[in-house]
Amino acid sequence: MFKREWKNLDKVMLFSTILIVCCSLCIIGSATHINKGVINYDFVAKQGGAFVLNLLIVLFFSRFDYTRLKHFAKPLYVLNLLFLLAVMFVGTSALGAQRWIQVGPITIQPSEFSKLIMIICTAALLSDKVDKLNSFKSLLPVGLFVGIPFLLVLKQPDLGTSLVFLAITLGMLFVANIKLSLLRNIFAAGVVLAPIGWHFMKDYQKSRILVFLDPNADPFGAGYHIIQSKIAIGSGELFGKGLFQGTQSQLNFLPENHTDFIFSVIGEELGFMGCIVILFLYFLLIYRGLVTAKECKDPFGMLLATGIVSMWAFQVLVNVGMTCGIMPVTGIPLPFMSYGVSALTTNMLAMGLLMSIYMRQQTMIF
Amino acid sequence: MLEALMKKKNQDGRFRYLYWIVIFIFAALICRLVYLQLFEGSYYHGLAEGNRLRAIPIAAMRGVMYDRNGQILVGSRPIFMVTYVPTKKGISDAELDSLAKLLNVPKEKLQEKIDKGKNSFEPTILAQDLTQDIVTRVEERRNDLPGVSVDVQPIRYYPYNSMAAQVFGYVGQIDEEDMKRLQGQEGVSSITQIGRAGLEAYYDDLLRGKDGGRQVEVDASGTPVKEMERKNPVPGHNFHLTIDLNLQKATEDALDRQIANGIGTHGIAAVAIDPNTGAVLAMASRPSYNPNWFTRGITEKEWAQINNNPAHPMENRVIAGEYPPGSTFKLITGTAALELKKVTPDEMIFDSGRHWLVDMRNAGGEALGWLNFTEALAKSDNVYFYELGRRVGIDKLAEYARMFGMGKKTGIALRGEATGLVASEEYKKKNFNQDWYLGDTFNSAIGQGFQLVTPLQAAMIVSEVANGGIQYKPFLVSRIDNLDGTPYKIFAPEQVGTLPVSKSTLDLVREGMRNVAEESGTAGSLFAGFPIQVAGKTGTAENFGGADHAWFVAYAPFDHPRIVIAVLTEQGGFGALASGPVAKSMLEEFFQVGAYADGKSPAHDAKDKKN
Repeated sequence: MFKREWKNLDKVMLFSTILIVCCSLCIIGSATHINKGVINYDFVAKQGGAFVLNLLIVLFFSRFDYTRLKHFAKPLYVLNLLFLLAVMFVGTSALGAQRWIQVGPITIQPSEFSKLIMIICTAALLSDKVDKLNSFKSLLPVGLFVGIPFLLVLKQPDLGTSLVFLAITLGMLFVANIKLSLLRNIFAAGVVLAPIGWHFMKDYQKSRILVFLDPNADPFGAGYHIIQSKIAIGSGELFGKGLFQGTQSQLNFLPENHTDFIFSVIGEELGFMGCIVILFLYFLLIYRGLVTAKECKDPFGMLLATGIVSMWAFQVLVNVGMTCGIMPVTGIPLPFMSYGVSALTTNMLAMGLLMSIYMRQQTMIF
Repeated sequence: MLEALMKKKNQDGRFRYLYWIVIFIFAALICRLVYLQLFEGSYYHGLAEGNRLRAIPIAAMRGVMYDRNGQILVGSRPIFMVTYVPTKKGISDAELDSLAKLLNVPKEKLQEKIDKGKNSFEPTILAQDLTQDIVTRVEERRNDLPGVSVDVQPIRYYPYNSMAAQVFGYVGQIDEEDMKRLQGQEGVSSITQIGRAGLEAYYDDLLRGKDGGRQVEVDASGTPVKEMERKNPVPGHNFHLTIDLNLQKATEDALDRQIANGIGTHGIAAVAIDPNTGAVLAMASRPSYNPNWFTRGITEKEWAQINNNPAHPMENRVIAGEYPPGSTFKLITGTAALELKKVTPDEMIFDSGRHWLVDMRNAGGEALGWLNFTEALAKSDNVYFYELGRRVGIDKLAEYARMFGMGKKTGIALRGEATGLVASEEYKKKNFNQDWYLGDTFNSAIGQGFQLVTPLQAAMIVSEVANGGIQYKPFLVSRIDNLDGTPYKIFAPEQVGTLPVSKSTLDLVREGMRNVAEESGTAGSLFAGFPIQVAGKTGTAENFGGADHAWFVAYAPFDHPRIVIAVLTEQGGFGALASGPVAKSMLEEFFQVGAYADGKSPAHDAKDKKN
């Protein structure tokens, strides 16, 4: 029985994920090793433990029928809103944003899980609307549906995650055959509304945008990350300085280098070659996701897979782009790579869903 | 099924777009990496290695201190300094030689400084406060001196040199301990100046400001070629002090005159406060030192001058000097006796020259006959106050002394304040394991024996008498500004207690003090003709192993007190003679009655009565 399932498993996706996480554990070890001479195993152990646990859960659940999730969409949506509201009222803040809930010894970042929940709910909503999205009126419920959690997350403030929501929704609308002229109008509206959005941004968010346009505007403040990150990546050159050898990260020029700026450490210590390998693994992951989506005969599954792929692709683009200075700093982590148990769990579950969709497809064919 | 396939066909087109979008994303990222790591790689590599990127700190200006009228008391001025940052090939012996010659600093000293800063990415200061001359010569030779550069930075400046030096304090270059203590604080760099004493130390966190920095790219010789990044320094908070510059100057001058007079003193402390608020108007201590010496790096000779002076110029005698209060303590003995109804204002006590129970006498061997309360206070009769002390008893005497604030710090915002000491039976038992005798009570009643006060405490005691029993916490800072001039903190007068003493008692004590400065009083001749009615008290404190310490405390005007003064002259002899003139000069300045209104010259030939 397991033999057949193993055959139907998307092994390319599974192994590229495992490779990415293994690489992640090494880099987190290096990034948290800062100046201490000994590796601080706390971070690596926590992340590694979470990975193993998640992997077992994912392999177990990938045999289940994902289509049943559709029935849970409504309660999941409500639960999601409750979680996001909870952050507002009982959340802990760090670095000027309120994003975490403390549950005993664990800090949960609900906005991470929120991404996956939104993918499931939006997929459920859109699965009945495929090919019917051709008027502004038909889009209105979708807008409301996504808009509420979007604003809640934006309020935390977590601009990064709310942008991920947008990317996910756009990706799904696109494959739901939204009328292209409608999509064009949405973009046009976005451009017009951007200045208003600017008005509502927090000062630090504004400065991030300004600094992205001109890093030298505030080099010791908001621009510091970008400059130091560029120096780190650039100085890696072709082969890198070797694991644990990066001066930028080891000498603590680069704060938060095990979370959002982990790619800078990869660039510095593993060089261009290392970056290419890692990006290739991400490409494989995303490509396999797209194949899964495309092959899926069931609209719900197709939308689900597309949402997940959009999430990953957008996060990779924005995160890696940010570390090498072509995207503004938004606090979006690199999937499977950045330290953070909530994020890792979310991504693992997403991968599990993809595998479940893929596997079901294979069983249907044969 | 066919329909579904049709639709699927439609979506296949959309997916083809998505494939291209994903490919485009990865292509863009890879292009960027090619550019950063392959084309610009060696450039960034150089930056990362630190040998082409220098962080040069820019010193923040410390906050300015103003007097109560907005005059600058402590500020900053720009100086030239020569700094060194190690380059790859280091500095050669010959180069060091020529640099030592240019700067006129011993070569060993330069070498020592260079070695010390070897492991730092930040520049080491080799010499500072250089003349334009030296700066020009160094600039001319800059190309032969790798890693050496000339910098302009603000440095602490005390325009009045030693004036109020112990109050303002001084600053010094940050050291390793400070670095450890301030680790993680924004704006602390290798050139930060740290407050070491006085207000500079007490309010260092607010005065310091935040150093900024420049990140410059340098060429192989260490010459900056491009400024990459800059963070401007943030100046410290400006402080408004309660000090009155003119009064402070007059006080300092008066102290200097007393020392120059050759009465054999080295240490004098003088303080003036506003009895209505507790604000310190002037505070001076001798000997003093010049805080500017420390700012630019003190020379060995200057340090020896401060360090080898047995009178400790850095000690603020106003708050740290503990002296027997002498006859000024009679204010407390008198208050206690009246308030406890141990004596009536009109009761006459006979002074035969000695007390009838214990053979203890007046200072000059005089006998003043029948005296009532105010007469006894004005003439500072010892026998009368021995008797009051006996009637009150040492326990109540100690209680009243503590009530007035003796034996505990006033709480002024300066480090190193002493508590003084209240004589009591327990103290003697504990420290000397001896029983208490009536003679001890007598000594205590006239401020001798174990009693000790600081000049500031003495001033606060007089302030309480003057203002009707309100105890204020003395303060030096009235307001701290934000950068934009708005208030960061405003210090209101802080009442810490009220004396549980009736008005009639304090009225009598004040009357006695007024009589001190009148014809029959111990400071009568000193204040003869003085246009403002002064209330005071002289004191002569026995000093074992030296001449007596001289006290003079006063407030004025008598009926509406605006200023309280306490002056102590170490080994000055009689209070009215040694300390009185200082107080008088201060009052002349405060009331703007120098040389008196009617042109009568002030007479300093006070034939001293008793203390």
